[in-house]
Amino acid sequence: MADTGGDNGPGKKAADKMFSLKKWNAVAMWSWDVECDTCAICRVQVMDACLRCQAENKQEDCVVVWGECNHSFHNCCMSLWVKQNNRCPLCQQEWVVQRIGK
Amino acid sequence: MPFSNATRKKASHDQQDTERSQRKRRVSGENRQGLAGLKRHKQEDSDFCHSDPAHHSSSQMDESVNSRKPNFSALVGSNGLTNRASSLANSKPGTAKKLVIKNFKGKPKLHDNYKEETWMKLRGAVDAIHKSTSIKYSLEELYQAVENMCSHKMAVMLYDSLKVVCEEHIKHQITQFKGNSGDELDSVLFLRKINKCWQDHCRQMIMIRSIFLFLDRTYVLQNSMVSSLWDMGLDLFRQHIISDTSVQTKTVDGLLLLIERERNGEMVDRSLLKSLLGMLSDLQIYKEAFEVRFLQETERLYAAEGQRLMQEREIAEYLHHVDKRLEEEQDRLMFYMDQSTQKPLVSCVEKQLLGEHLVNILQKGLHQLLDENRTDDLKLMYNLFAKVKAGLETLCQHWGDYIKKMSRYGIQGSALNWFQSYLPGRKHCTSINGSFGSTIVINPEKDKTMVQELLDFKDKVDNILQSCFSSNEKFINTMKESFETFINKRLNKPAELIAKYVDSKLRAGNKEATEEELERMLDKIMVLFRFIHGKDVFEAFYKKDLAKRLLVGKSASVDAEKSMLSKLKQECGGAFTSKLEGMFKDMELSRDIMVHFKQYAQHKAKGVDEHIQHQKDSISIDLTVNILTMGYWPTYIPMEVHLPPEMVRYQEIFKSFYLAKHSGRKLQWQPTLGHCVLRADFRAGKKELQVSLFQSLVLIMFNDGDGFTTEYIKQYTGIEDGELRRTLQSLACGKARVIIKTPKGKEVEDGDQFHFNNDFKHKLYRIKINQIQMKETQEENVNTTERVFQDRQYQIDAAIVRIMKTRKTLTHTLLVSELYNQLKFPVKPADLKKRIESLIDRDYMERDKENSNQYHYVA
Repeated sequence: MADTGGDNGPGKKAADKMFSLKKWNAVAMWSWDVECDTCAICRVQVMDACLRCQAENKQEDCVVVWGECNHSFHNCCMSLWVKQNNRCPLCQQEWVVQRIGK
Repeated sequence: MPFSNATRKKASHDQQDTERSQRKRRVSGENRQGLAGLKRHKQEDSDFCHSDPAHHSSSQMDESVNSRKPNFSALVGSNGLTNRASSLANSKPGTAKKLVIKNFKGKPKLHDNYKEETWMKLRGAVDAIHKSTSIKYSLEELYQAVENMCSHKMAVMLYDSLKVVCEEHIKHQITQFKGNSGDELDSVLFLRKINKCWQDHCRQMIMIRSIFLFLDRTYVLQNSMVSSLWDMGLDLFRQHIISDTSVQTKTVDGLLLLIERERNGEMVDRSLLKSLLGMLSDLQIYKEAFEVRFLQETERLYAAEGQRLMQEREIAEYLHHVDKRLEEEQDRLMFYMDQSTQKPLVSCVEKQLLGEHLVNILQKGLHQLLDENRTDDLKLMYNLFAKVKAGLETLCQHWGDYIKKMSRYGIQGSALNWFQSYLPGRKHCTSINGSFGSTIVINPEKDKTMVQELLDFKDKVDNILQSCFSSNEKFINTMKESFETFINKRLNKPAELIAKYVDSKLRAGNKEATEEELERMLDKIMVLFRFIHGKDVFEAFYKKDLAKRLLVGKSASVDAEKSMLSKLKQECGGAFTSKLEGMFKDMELSRDIMVHFKQYAQHKAKGVDEHIQHQKDSISIDLTVNILTMGYWPTYIPMEVHLPPEMVRYQEIFKSFYLAKHSGRKLQWQPTLGHCVLRADFRAGKKELQVSLFQSLVLIMFNDGDGFTTEYIKQYTGIEDGELRRTLQSLACGKARVIIKTPKGKEVEDGDQFHFNNDFKHKLYRIKINQIQMKETQEENVNTTERVFQDRQYQIDAAIVRIMKTRKTLTHTLLVSELYNQLKFPVKPADLKKRIESLIDRDYMERDKENSNQYHYVA
């Protein structure tokens, strides 16, 4: 198999290398790409389900929503919020959904 | 005809005889033989009697005359002998013979002094019986004489005279006891004498009765005021012999003395006892004259014995003794006591030997018996205690105490070990395995033995329950309660240790157990788990370990993992395991993603010719990425490390692939969890090293130089200090030393130098050095615990919202009590109050305007 590439060893030949990478098991954690990881409405982390969904055991359905203002909340928290006031609770701009997480 | 009549009569005699004989069951066999002999006589007698109807009593005369002479058939109806009459009528059909009924010509006369003469004859016979000499006349003659006298209305006189004669005789008997009362007759001899007197009396009375049977059957039966001859005999005996105070006292004293001797192990004349106790029963003075004193005596004896033996003997020995005593008393009851004594006697012995000492016995011996697992003795104890009032309750209570005490001891010991294992230095000392943690053992492995000890203890306890306490439900429940109490005496720690124990069993390389054994072990663990209140602590630690098993590929068996998960789900419901399930789901999703990624990379390699370098990179190593959903997995402290450029590029390739597929997400690399396989080229040959990402970062440095200091490596790789020291230690101070540290030593210090170990030798080709990743650090432990407490707040919040949403309005007390029902971990009321306040601030609920103790849900 080929060696780990020539651009990290300054001028050394591949054969001189004592250690070469054969296999890499990397681990990455994904989360919603949000500015603030706590939902400002229910104050639960957006990666967790909101309180109402936790109480009703609907964690799977609890997704994140982004507004045009780039603020994000639990979708269910926000849908309750806009019924009263159609502005982003953080910046008071008109609330327009940019995208809903999946 | 006379014969058939006689047999019928005999049958009725027999019937009556059996009735009588039931009353005198205790009369010895000898007497019975006499009785049977007499019966034979009677039969002959009656044959003989019928030949002379004149001497019959009226009713029997009717019968015999009637059956012999058909011309009396007119009387049939009133006599109730219809069958016979009709058969007689049929036997002579058509005969018209006229029947004339005439009176007897005159009453049969007796000669004048018949009465005196006959009585003298009978009296002579009675005297002869009393004196045990031979009787002048034949018994038939005597029997007939009685019958005749009765027929001639001399029954009253006969009875009274007989009574007088018997009374005379019995009165006379007393002198033999009286006379000797002065010179203190040996009590056994005295008893023998009494017994003889009694036996004689019985024998004589039976003889007399046999002779006077006719009297007994007619006169006595017709007059309810008169007692039967046998009873008259008993009356006289009671009145004249046994009612004499000195005789009675002496008899009873003697009996008690004999019984006491027997209880002390001596051989005594049991038949004598049996006969005399039978006498007391027959005389109907058993209860007042004997039983009361006997029970007093018994009580005194066993009270003293109980006191003494409780002091002297081991409990097991004592219990066996009690058992033996009870058996002996039972035997005594069977053999010579009156059955009515059974209940009071047994309960008296049980009370004195057991009931009085219940608590003492348990305090003195139960723990020892349980410690030594002496199932037979424990079984005996259970059976004995079951007999006594409140016995099982007390035993059960102490049983619970034992479990609590025993196990608390165990837990504290282990907890101490647990604490010791985190002392700085982590010294490995030889483990001194003392009894339940009484010895301090500084051994990081020791905390794992707590769970093993608990499991063993539980096994032992279950075994005792089953084999000794007949699986008594009360005892099982007490056991459960006790386990629950002591396990929760120490908050959180047992849950943590149980989780770790499961981890140790589910880890790869645990070859000691087969699948079935593993399954059984998990079931046992679940039993312990059930007792734990703070199940979330278990979940947190379990999750942390599960994450490592899944990510580092160290899980022993997927089936076992799934089985454990389903057990947890069954026990605690879906909410409890949803995140754990999410972890498994992430692993599967990652596998799918990697399939897509490989296709993508190949496609890209074909399509973009000018980036040959890239193409080469992307397939040059075997890259696997596990994508975890944040929230499902434990939280890891983010750590930035400096990766070699080619690794960074791999990351970038993957990242752009992934984010293109999933919008709105971001990826955070977790270097702590990564692991690699490195090819290594030593002088002695090529090797493959299985290492953690940190280890490979350090090793790759040696491609470009040698002789790095600790500080330089730290600066170059960017690995956090503690983590780096552990990593270097594993590479330079462990079993497989691929780099050399100067100066040598266990600890990694600043300024230490590290060199590539070109002379590295190992018998294996593939070498694992990444076990270090599986070990838990202290920070990890603290973080996990803290995380649990944070999560609890959310859980409390969720529970409050859930309750308020259904109830709409609740008082504070009701809400709190509902919460305690729902929450699966221990909480302080003050904490609950804080959470309620916080929810009110966040407008989830509000206080009632008038009653501040009442809350309303805000939708």
